[in-house]
Amino acid sequence: MDLQEYIELVFTDYTLRTITLGTAVLGAICGMLGSFAVLRKQSLLGDAISHAALPGIAIAFLIIETKNSSIFLLGALISGLIGTFWIRGITRKTHLKSDTALGLILSLFFGFGMLLLTYIQKMPNANQAGLESYLFGQAATLLESDVWLMVIVTGISLVILLLFWKELKILLFDADYTKTLGFNTKFLDILITSFIVVAIVLGLQTVGVVLMSAMLLAPAAAARQWTNNLAVMVILAAIFGAFSGIFGTAISASQNNLSTGPVIVLVAGVFVLFSFIFSPGRGLLFREIRFRKNRNDLQLHKTLSFMYNIAKTHEDISHPHAIRILNNFQGFTRKSLQKLENKDYVKIEGSMWSMTKEGYHTAANLYDQLIKEEDE
Amino acid sequence: MSNAQIEIQLIASLVAIACAIPGTFLVLRKMALITDAISHSILPGIVIGFFITHDLSSPLLIIMAAASGVLTVVLVEFIQKTGLVKEDTAIGLVFPALFSIGIILIAKNANDIHLDVDAVLLGELAFAPFDRLSIGDTDLGPKSLWIIGTILIITLGLLFTFFKELKVSTFDAGLASALGLSPVVMHYGLMTVSSITTVGAFDAVGAILVIALMIAPAATAYLLTNDLKKMLFLAVVFGVASALTGYWVAHVLDASISGSMTTVLGLLFLLVYLFAPEKGLFSVLYRQKRQRIEVSLLTFLLHLRNHKEKEERHVKHLNEHINWQKVRSKSVLDLALKNNMITIDHDIVSLTNKGKKFTTEAIDYIVTNKNSEIENMKDRFFLFRG
Repeated sequence: MDLQEYIELVFTDYTLRTITLGTAVLGAICGMLGSFAVLRKQSLLGDAISHAALPGIAIAFLIIETKNSSIFLLGALISGLIGTFWIRGITRKTHLKSDTALGLILSLFFGFGMLLLTYIQKMPNANQAGLESYLFGQAATLLESDVWLMVIVTGISLVILLLFWKELKILLFDADYTKTLGFNTKFLDILITSFIVVAIVLGLQTVGVVLMSAMLLAPAAAARQWTNNLAVMVILAAIFGAFSGIFGTAISASQNNLSTGPVIVLVAGVFVLFSFIFSPGRGLLFREIRFRKNRNDLQLHKTLSFMYNIAKTHEDISHPHAIRILNNFQGFTRKSLQKLENKDYVKIEGSMWSMTKEGYHTAANLYDQLIKEEDE
Repeated sequence: MSNAQIEIQLIASLVAIACAIPGTFLVLRKMALITDAISHSILPGIVIGFFITHDLSSPLLIIMAAASGVLTVVLVEFIQKTGLVKEDTAIGLVFPALFSIGIILIAKNANDIHLDVDAVLLGELAFAPFDRLSIGDTDLGPKSLWIIGTILIITLGLLFTFFKELKVSTFDAGLASALGLSPVVMHYGLMTVSSITTVGAFDAVGAILVIALMIAPAATAYLLTNDLKKMLFLAVVFGVASALTGYWVAHVLDASISGSMTTVLGLLFLLVYLFAPEKGLFSVLYRQKRQRIEVSLLTFLLHLRNHKEKEERHVKHLNEHINWQKVRSKSVLDLALKNNMITIDHDIVSLTNKGKKFTTEAIDYIVTNKNSEIENMKDRFFLFRG
């Protein structure tokens, strides 16, 4: 299936269109709310909550005894929230640390959920099929109504974010200050955490319990590399998330036997990798380039100041010296000498060098911060 | 009990012990979540190992799985070292990616592979006795019993040999490296043991129960004691107890054994979390309430000491003046009266000699910034606590 054919299919085929739209919206909301999770150092909360939602789904099934994805979502939401608040309770009231609390809730709730699932499987009820799809997600089961639900939730969370933008922002970066300003930090905290839980629960059907945390984290972690501005980060994360959804769906649709969830996660992972390496401000590539440039500059400065110390001892600063005498100085290379000459700091004639006036002046003020940027 | 049942319980108990030991140290070192990462990311290792050997019981699978577990740790630390994201984000990025690769590898080759993702996550302890190890015609017992037994013996050997070193490096990394114990060696040693234990155990009980068995018994024990040896012992006891109980619960419900073991672990943790004598939720809440009243009492007594005027010491006035609600000021007054700190004469409150002495000492401690001493002082002065 080539690209053009695929794009045509997206617009004509109902299922593909629904899935593409669904994963795109899901990616966007996860990226948006994930930014807050990452900045609040709650990255793994998503992992814990998505696992903690499983018993809720199973209990919802045990109560209504049919498949109904909105009731399942409600069950998942309730048990996800219970998990979240238990985690808070453990870290606040006991000396157990947050990693232990997260791991506990994650494994205990998930194990309980699995107990219920295997119990349900053995029940004489024909409607039980499909509960396992929540484990690894099945984007193919997305219906138009599910997509509408996602759009509505995204809209609501967008409105809430805009309404409480200032408060949430200040809470993120200085919680104590927020409290002294008289904001209800507890309310804000619960508000943002609840929305993160909602986003996770929405994604369970599509990417599954296990991979949901990456959906939340990866777009935000990628967006973080490109900016230091919260608003830009949230928007970028939403865009990254949406595109991971679209590309992931496209790739998995064009091949046989590829489940959508893992592909979306891997596409998001590629976004992260790309951002880690190529982002201009923080990326590894540019950091390395800056590092090299600084090292070269430093070496040039060292050579220059060594020459200055020699020239200083002569009455005529432009008195020529043999290049040989630089030999026992480590920082000097043919290249750095060439560079100094290009900058007109030294003159080289044959095997002799002499300092120019400008070079002498620059070297004298090399470590003086007041005269700056002349030698750039 | 049939033979197979005894074997299952034996395997489960050994897994519980083998997990509880590294788990205790992971919880203490605040690295509990690395087990979560390892247990998920060994999936691609197993799948690749399977492609090479086409044999699910080959030892190469375990080696590959352990290698990808260690790879996870290395990757997490590499990302963390770049400083681009925090540690928890690094964990959260690495293991879903590796897990996705595993799932995709399985899905792409679904036709010629009977490796089930469910089985990897959940394991099936019930089938463990059927996979037996035999030399010639002699039956030596279930294979997973041998695997986990070997891992347990190695873990125990390492624990007894390096107990002192582990203890020091866990509680005081600075002291440990000053004494010449390399923190790096300790760290990677522990990580390798956890990785191998996870791999060996998950074959029998599945990835999720491994996480539960590593973290939950240790966390439960940590709520009950501060002594490392006792904590290790309690963690092992809790692990084994819930493994055995879990097995019988599963037997009755006819459901997943790992699921029911985890559930029992969860209930056990919930009980201890609520009722642990010193650190449980109820005793913490009770202590906080008591401290709140006692702090109020102290404030109240200091207020009395600072004011000789009658109108400042009137019972009614105190309500308004210190901004307390009626109930609270009543309980504070009662407490002060019970402890002989004050006398009330025609609704005018005044300090007794004991109250004066108490406030003098309290001020002394507050001024010299020795607030912690006040707790001891309360023991000396109070007949009744708040």
